[in-house]
Amino acid sequence: MRTKARLLAAATVAAALAAPTAAHAHLVDTRLGDFYGGALHPLTELDQLLPWVALAALAAFQGARRARWVIVAFPLALLAGGAAALLLPAPPFGPILGIGLVAATGLALAAAARLPLPVLIGLSTVMGLLHGLQNGQGLPASTDRLLFLAGATAAGYAVMTLATGGALAFLRGVGGWRPIALRATGSWVAAVGIMVLGLQFAAPATAG
Amino acid sequence: MTTVTELRIRLRLALLAVVTLVGVLLPALPAAPHEASMAVITLREIAPGRYLGQWTMPPADPTLQPIFPAHCRWEPPELVCGERGLIGRLSFMGLGSTQSVATIRVIPRDGPMQAYTVSAAKPTAMAARDPGTDLAVWLDLAETYVNLGIDHILRGIDHLLFVLGLIWLTSSGWMLVRTITAFTVGHSISLAAATFGWVGIPEKPLNAAIALSIVFVGVEIVKLQRGEIGLTARYPWIVAFAFGLLHGLGFATALTNLGIPQATLPIALLFFNIGVEIGQLAFVFAVLALIWAHRQARAVLPRWGAALPAYAIGSIAAFWFLARV
Repeated sequence: MRTKARLLAAATVAAALAAPTAAHAHLVDTRLGDFYGGALHPLTELDQLLPWVALAALAAFQGARRARWVIVAFPLALLAGGAAALLLPAPPFGPILGIGLVAATGLALAAAARLPLPVLIGLSTVMGLLHGLQNGQGLPASTDRLLFLAGATAAGYAVMTLATGGALAFLRGVGGWRPIALRATGSWVAAVGIMVLGLQFAAPATAG
Repeated sequence: MTTVTELRIRLRLALLAVVTLVGVLLPALPAAPHEASMAVITLREIAPGRYLGQWTMPPADPTLQPIFPAHCRWEPPELVCGERGLIGRLSFMGLGSTQSVATIRVIPRDGPMQAYTVSAAKPTAMAARDPGTDLAVWLDLAETYVNLGIDHILRGIDHLLFVLGLIWLTSSGWMLVRTITAFTVGHSISLAAATFGWVGIPEKPLNAAIALSIVFVGVEIVKLQRGEIGLTARYPWIVAFAFGLLHGLGFATALTNLGIPQATLPIALLFFNIGVEIGQLAFVFAVLALIWAHRQARAVLPRWGAALPAYAIGSIAAFWFLARV
């Protein structure tokens, strides 16, 4: 019964992730201008928020000395990706890579993998660049792109910092169940990523 | 000794929390003071139920259009509402980031002028013949002005930078509470005084002085980092109160520019101030949460870069000062 419920929940999240297959920027009207619009944009995209939190938890498993590099690398990559979006079109492999990153980050978290620092920074950078590129695509001409990207970067920094700090504090707490809980979360993220990846490949076949 | 060490660690954590935010924000900061982008349309009753409309403060977005109750017919510049008069929901089409606030001022043939402010957050206002006795209109007013207050503080990067500086200058939680409270009391007093017209400072020098207050806080932070613990570091609430008076005058410009009638001014002021406090507290809690997260990750700036954020804040505020002068 519980397994069924879990599968249903994972399938729901997977469906939510699978829906926006193309890289696009939906504008969130915050009434507070383009900075806050940019900040809220990635926060309302599950395919961005989910791997961010998984990456933060994965970083926490590496210890504070390594985890802190993610707080620096990720927002900078997000900003660089957003700036690149002003010049470059969206990469055709973007959606697949994005979902692949969800699955890979989830799997690494589920395995509580000990990553070398360059790999952790590399993963943060690739994810940041890709999501930055996606955030900067398809903005209407009326949007102040600089403010929008600054907002998205500030959100990336805030989420990554709070999630990393929260995960580190959580792991420092008493109880052997804590790492298990985080790893279980990682397995869910991996399951969602793999399901969506499967849907991505299955969709063209079923469409025909 | 331990206290000084803790203070230094706290400062470095705050520095790191800020440096990324400032780094992200700096390119996007406006040189001009933030102003609520508003439009005002005035409707003068020329015959019972018939009004003549005119933009007294034209909209930044030319596509902005007022929406009147269904029983009214709007054929610019004339509005015909018949025997019922102008009662019911008022709104604007096209409110957004370009045009965040718009006001409809109604000048009846007899009776006081009424003003209905609409924002993207609070997209409708309720017009009634006698707002003084209609609870729904008062609630409507509360919702409008609380949202306006939140909007004003969150869009006001200069006010937020000043509050950030105050958080930076405080060395304990209790001192932070006292400092933020002093700032609140200070700006509430001057906001009320300016809104009621008891005091007034021209907008340009006022905005320049607000920028200068941020420069002052930046300098005090650098001094504190050098170990010069002066009056500001010991009693930051004094600085907070004094400059709070200044920032309150800045908040008041958002209200006085709306041309709110005297009858509704006190309640508008109250709810606007509540909105400002909500926005300010949300910002303070966000910064404290980031400091806590940095502490957990032991993410601090290297010694050589510890003063950079203070210099960055001071420099941008100095730029504002020059631009505003």
